[in-house]
Order: sequence, then C-alpha cells, then structure tokens
Amino acid sequence: MTVLPAIDIVGLTKVFDRSGESLVALDGLDLRIEAGEFVSIIGPSGCGKSTLLRAVCGLLPIDGGRIAIGNESPTEARQRKHFGFVPQSPALLQWKTVRENVRLLRDVNPRTHANASTEAATDADIEHLIAQVGLADAADAMPRQLSGGMQQRVSLARAFALRAPVLIMDEPFSALDEITRAEMRFLLLQLWRETSATVLFVTHNIDDAIVLSDRVVVLAGRPGRVIADERITLARPRHEGIEDDPVYHRHAATVRHALHLGRS
Amino acid sequence: MTTRRRSALAAAPFTGILAFFGVWEAYVRLLDIRPLTLPAPTRIVGHVVENLGFYADNAAVTVTEAVLGLVLAFVAAMVVATVMTHSALVERATWPVIVLIQSTPVIVLAPVFLRWFGLGIMSKVATAALFAFVPFVSNAVTGLRSVDADRLDLLHSVDASTAEIFWRLRLPSALPALFAAGRICISLSLVGALVGELYGGSEGLGFQSRTAASRSLIDQLWGSIFALAFIGITATLLLLAVERRVLRWHDSVQSV
Repeated sequence: MTVLPAIDIVGLTKVFDRSGESLVALDGLDLRIEAGEFVSIIGPSGCGKSTLLRAVCGLLPIDGGRIAIGNESPTEARQRKHFGFVPQSPALLQWKTVRENVRLLRDVNPRTHANASTEAATDADIEHLIAQVGLADAADAMPRQLSGGMQQRVSLARAFALRAPVLIMDEPFSALDEITRAEMRFLLLQLWRETSATVLFVTHNIDDAIVLSDRVVVLAGRPGRVIADERITLARPRHEGIEDDPVYHRHAATVRHALHLGRS
Repeated sequence: MTTRRRSALAAAPFTGILAFFGVWEAYVRLLDIRPLTLPAPTRIVGHVVENLGFYADNAAVTVTEAVLGLVLAFVAAMVVATVMTHSALVERATWPVIVLIQSTPVIVLAPVFLRWFGLGIMSKVATAALFAFVPFVSNAVTGLRSVDADRLDLLHSVDASTAEIFWRLRLPSALPALFAAGRICISLSLVGALVGELYGGSEGLGFQSRTAASRSLIDQLWGSIFALAFIGITATLLLLAVERRVLRWHDSVQSV
C-alpha cells in the first residue's frame, strides 16, 4: 500500500529579480494539504499560483520558509519521482508516438521508481491507461495528429503512468473549449479515484476548482497570499450535472466573492 | 487541391530548370555566340559524357574533401554548441571567437592551411570544415536552446539527468535548426573544398577548373562547373529526403 504524503508549506517566500528590482511573488505563505486530498489553488494572473506550484515541485529555489512533501524536501521527492507533473501545455514530444509519450516519465531516470512499494507501471498497465483515456486507437499516432483535448488526455495519462503519490497540475485545461474541459474534469476524477494521490491543482477556472476539489484555496497577489480556504462539501464520487446542485452554487458564489475581494 | 494542380506543382521545378537551359541554348545558337565566350549547354553535357571517367574521378576527390569537411564541422560544432548550451560562462567566452571567425573572410586562411597540412587532402578538408563551422554552431546553439519550458519542467520533475535531457529533448528539438544549417553548409563545404583545390593541389574539380581556365580549355572549365552544380543539387536533394524522413513530425516538413 502506498503511503501518501501530506504537503506542508510554512512561511514560503519567493522574490524574483526583475532588472535589478525585487518582485515579491510570495511572502510568508502557509498552506497544508492533507495526504490524499485534492486541493485547487485559484487566483488572478500573476498572483503566484504557478510560482507556488513550481516551488512545491522543487523546480524553483525558494528564498524563505519550508516545504515538506511527507518527510521529504521537494528535491528529494523529485529525485524519487514522487511528482506526477501535468504542465499547462500538453508538452508532448512531437517526435514520439502517443504510447511513447505516455511511457516517458516512467522511462526517464529508470533507476528510480515513483512508488517503492509497488513495481513501476508495466507496458500492459500503460496500454490499459491509454485505453482509459480513450486513446487506444490512437496509441501509435503522432501528437500533431491529435486535437488539443486528445493531447491533454495523453498528458494526464503520462502523469498517472508514473504512479506518483503526488500530482502537480498547472492549469492543464486552460487551452480547452468548455465542452472538452468538462469532459476532462471527470476523466481526471476517474483516474484520480483509482490512485487517491495527493493533488495540487492550479487553475483560474471556478468550475474546475469546485468540481474537482476537496478544498479550494484562493490566492490574491502581489505578493501572493491566501485570502480564502473553502472546503467543498459536495459528495464523492462526483458526476456530470453536479453544477446544478445548490451546494455547488453556494461554493461558487463564495469563491467568486473571495476572488473579487482579492482584486479590490 | 485537384490532381491537375498537384501535378503542375510537382512539375514546376523541372519546368523551371528546362526553361533556364532552353533560353541559354537558344541564346547561344540564335546569336551565334562563340564557345569561348559561352558554350551551349548541350555542348557542355556532350563533353562531360565523353569524358565521364575524368569527371567522376575528380568529382570523387572533391566530394570526399567536402563530405569530410562537413562531418568535421558538424562534430566540432555539436561539441562546442553542447558545452555552450550548458555553461553561460563558456557561452559568453565563445561567442566573440565565433563572431571573429564569421567576420573574417575565411578564404584567406586557405593558404595558411596549405602551409600547415600540405598539398594533400587534409588542407582541403580543413578549409571545407572552416567554411561550414559557423552556420552549424550558431544553428546548433539556437536549436539546443529552443527547448519548450514546459517540456523541460516535465523532465526536471522526475530528476532527469543532463544527458537524458540532451538526448531525449534538446537534440530532437534542435534537429530542424540543424537540418536548416545542413542545407547551407553542404554548399559551403563544397566551396571550401574548391577553394582549397584552387590554392594548391593536383586533383579535384577545383584544380581541374583552375587548369582549364589557365589553358583556355573552355569545355573542361564549363564541364567542371556543371559537375559541381550536379553534385550540389544531388547532395541537397539527398539531405532533403533524409530531412523529410527524420522530421516527419515537424511542421516544416508537413507543410511541404
């Protein structure tokens, strides 16, 4: 059984140097994400969402505070392949087929597997995953032959193929149309239900945040700070049509209000 | 696109070449131009066919020099570009040297290479390599650097090594730029080999054209020029065929 880590962020500070001027992106941010929890970070552009995410992932050095992924630092977690990363663009390797792209994170850094208690995903597991995201017939296709939604499905499958205990997602649906976006939310929920990984999901879309999450954390900038932390009380599993639930509307109103407060 | 239009587009390059030589042939015949001034294309082709062995032997020498020079330039450029891509310090120190080479008319170094490497093949290979080096290295640096940030983050997120990032991401991303450089460098390495032969040597198409010019052997002079043009076109078409195959995933090939 995989031990899922909590993510603990204490006093996180990040300062960028922009042509000699200091730009404080995050200033003493505190946040705890429980093991197995799905947390969305929402906020306007430039509020530090992606900075926070990249710092958690160990892709960005921090200037103050502490981040712990279970008992590990972000760098240690990265070295152990504990992050299934889904970037904003599908970021597929254009010269590889769908199947080869899904295998990529598993095959890179092959001495390390994300999940020490189980074996790395086998080729058969990966075929199953490709079928789950609805691309069994396109497994040998090249990325340029796929629509934007299909490319994002590959990107999701690639992250889940790693069997990482932590999933880090940076606005993965931002370039999709509304219908595809809605489909992708439920596909993500279906894949996540089988792993129950700890998820940090960055978005600027209120519907994404509420449909997917256990908690929605609203950031305001600059510097980035938490101005609301809304626990989503909608039951799981969540299905299409959940947007019509009155509870959903109450959460949406609260989050929208917090976003407006953050702007003013 | 209709089949007729597609056929017309496919035939257009051949039509252009035929028209060019047709106008040339007609100009020489109709105005009775002396062969010493400008021989007719049919006369040059006839001369080359009659002396095919002579041109094949000399072409083999020039092609060997150009290919070795091209390979040497490519390998040296990849090594330099890879180090530059991974070290800002080396990059800052190396660019001025590259600009210096680029700004110097490298043709003047051919006699220097003759002194260093003698009259044999090495001096021509070195000249050919020097001609091709700068375009290769600048395109290689641009290509190796033009890696999508999300793809780089993705590989860093699983702690991929520098070597893995190079082989899996940087090198494939750089291929379009490297092929673009290759198309330019094929001609440049051929020019480099010719310049080497013009300055000193005893074989090759450059040497034979120089000899023909000094002895007023007009057919041989134009025969050498035709042979060189044929080599250049063949090499470029070969590279394009390889590029289409290797870069079949890339927009530049898909849109052709």
